[in-house]
Amino acid sequence: MRPGRPSHPPVPPEGPQLDVVQQWFQAVIIHPEGVPGGLGSEEAQRRLPIGPGELATVIAPSRNLTAEERLGIYAHAYYARLLEVLADRFPVLAQALGEEVFAGYAFEYLQRYPSRSYTLDRLGEDFPRFLAETRPDRDAVDLANVADLADPTAETPEAAAWPDFLIDLARLEWAIARVFDGPGAEGQPLLAPEALAALGPERFAAARLPPVPCLRLLAFRYPVNAYYTAVRQAALAGDTAEVPLPDPAPELVALSRTDFVVRRYSLTPTRYALLAAILDGARVEEALAAAAAASDTPDEALAAEVQEAFRFFAAQGFFLGME
Amino acid sequence: MLGLSRPPRLGLPNLGLGVGLRAVHFDPILSQRPEVDWFEVISENFMDSQGRPRHVLRQLAERYPLVLHGVSLSIGATDPLNFDYLKKLKTLAGEVGARWVSDHLCWTGVLGRNSHDLLPIPFTEETLRHVVERVRIVQDVLERPLVLENPSSYVTFAHSTMPEEEFVARMAAEADCGLLVDVNNVYVSSFNHDLDPEAFLRALPPERIVQFHLAGHSDYGTHLIDTHDDHVIDPVWKLYQLAHQRTGGASTLLEWDARIPPFPVLHAEVLKAKRYLGETLPEPGPVGRLPAPPPVSHLSAVPHPLHHVLPEVA
Repeated sequence: MRPGRPSHPPVPPEGPQLDVVQQWFQAVIIHPEGVPGGLGSEEAQRRLPIGPGELATVIAPSRNLTAEERLGIYAHAYYARLLEVLADRFPVLAQALGEEVFAGYAFEYLQRYPSRSYTLDRLGEDFPRFLAETRPDRDAVDLANVADLADPTAETPEAAAWPDFLIDLARLEWAIARVFDGPGAEGQPLLAPEALAALGPERFAAARLPPVPCLRLLAFRYPVNAYYTAVRQAALAGDTAEVPLPDPAPELVALSRTDFVVRRYSLTPTRYALLAAILDGARVEEALAAAAAASDTPDEALAAEVQEAFRFFAAQGFFLGME
Repeated sequence: MLGLSRPPRLGLPNLGLGVGLRAVHFDPILSQRPEVDWFEVISENFMDSQGRPRHVLRQLAERYPLVLHGVSLSIGATDPLNFDYLKKLKTLAGEVGARWVSDHLCWTGVLGRNSHDLLPIPFTEETLRHVVERVRIVQDVLERPLVLENPSSYVTFAHSTMPEEEFVARMAAEADCGLLVDVNNVYVSSFNHDLDPEAFLRALPPERIVQFHLAGHSDYGTHLIDTHDDHVIDPVWKLYQLAHQRTGGASTLLEWDARIPPFPVLHAEVLKAKRYLGETLPEPGPVGRLPAPPPVSHLSAVPHPLHHVLPEVA
């Protein structure tokens, strides 16, 4: 910056321009340190260089409140509203962490990934990614609040992996929300298990089975789907005791939707491999090869498992038809 | 040029007494088909939906008049208008036969951000020119009048050159748009800004008032917050009566977004309007009691809490 030149243009006597007012106002109310921090922030000062005690030149006080107190209503509302939405979007994660710890993550998330969409439905879109990026175990988290999850002092590999539980649970809850309101197959004809059973072996092997658009596969490092079920069952039973946090163990899950309700399916490795191949557009025989590669099951038992799996998939309405 | 002899409500119908549709009431409404005059829905909760919310709305559209009420148009913002959003809004309005489309006289964010709040504008000639131009564009795109609501506000700008009601009246005339008068917001803002709510109502052009909103708010002593979490208070009903007299009647809608009561309580609340319309109120049915309000704390208040739909999971 050249010496002698004011760093910021002064506020014109007729008042600042609308774009300047809005950029300043936003910088002040979304500042993580509240209005005092916002007013003094570089971004706000760059828009409107208001010194201490000069706020009333922009925001009028009321009979009862100072200009700063009035702005504080918006500053508080910004975080309160969006934290509430995030807690609603990730209810089981919020419960697992407790209100305060969850709010801490969500608060940081909102600063790193502020909403850029007209809809609140996308507010949590980057939350799993945010948790993966920050791996919040490494710093700044009060581990006492999540002590059941893994003892951070324990000399086990699991201790280092516990953020994977948070990330996986966030991924599950986000996927549920997308499947709920994303494309579905309600009202469309689906492939019936009987139609599948009636196929000769060659025709079956060569078939492609286009999946319903709501079918999604998820592979987890912690059994978060089982945990999700346990938390919901405890809530339905009015059980206020905390559901114990699980130990790490792989869990494979399919999500789909029928009658506009999200359904969750725990999958064996064989079933997961079959569906993954089907979602990639593979023929049944190619899906079989993928399942055989993913499974330790002997061939004969695998054939029976696959047959039963396809019957199950069709019964659950996973396929739109057959090609 | 401008409609000097506009028909009342810009010629739009008086739909009667309606309520804001909230997801917790989807099932009771679908199963019982209550005798509600009309529903208002939050546009953004449905415009991208390919699941149950959209499905429910299509079903309701067959039985009830619907109005789309948005919270993210951001008509007062200095960021460009979002034409992708407007296109989706127009599609949804056509699909459900929306009687009209409304949003708020506010901005929600700039520099690409959305605060999801209804932020206040300075009432200046510059803002007026800006808003009028954008309303005209939106109306051209939507091919229907835009109806704009006065939000509750908690600050005023020192450089405003006119009162809000003058701004609203001039905007409506110059942009040729409709008005949604939120009577509770008039009360809340007037209290917060030490102004006279009746003067606000008397300054508005009655023929442009298409709709009224009613809601509850929270009293923090020094200021009021538009929390939509309680019954409508008597002074707001009195203002509503004045507004009704001045307009000859317009579609009236109750909003309830936090501590949402069972549907019959909600419906009974808006039916109280009949007392102020010179009509006889039907005998109140058993409407149940609301849970006790949360402790009054500045930090517990969220102005106009935004309703969103939660997933249904087996």
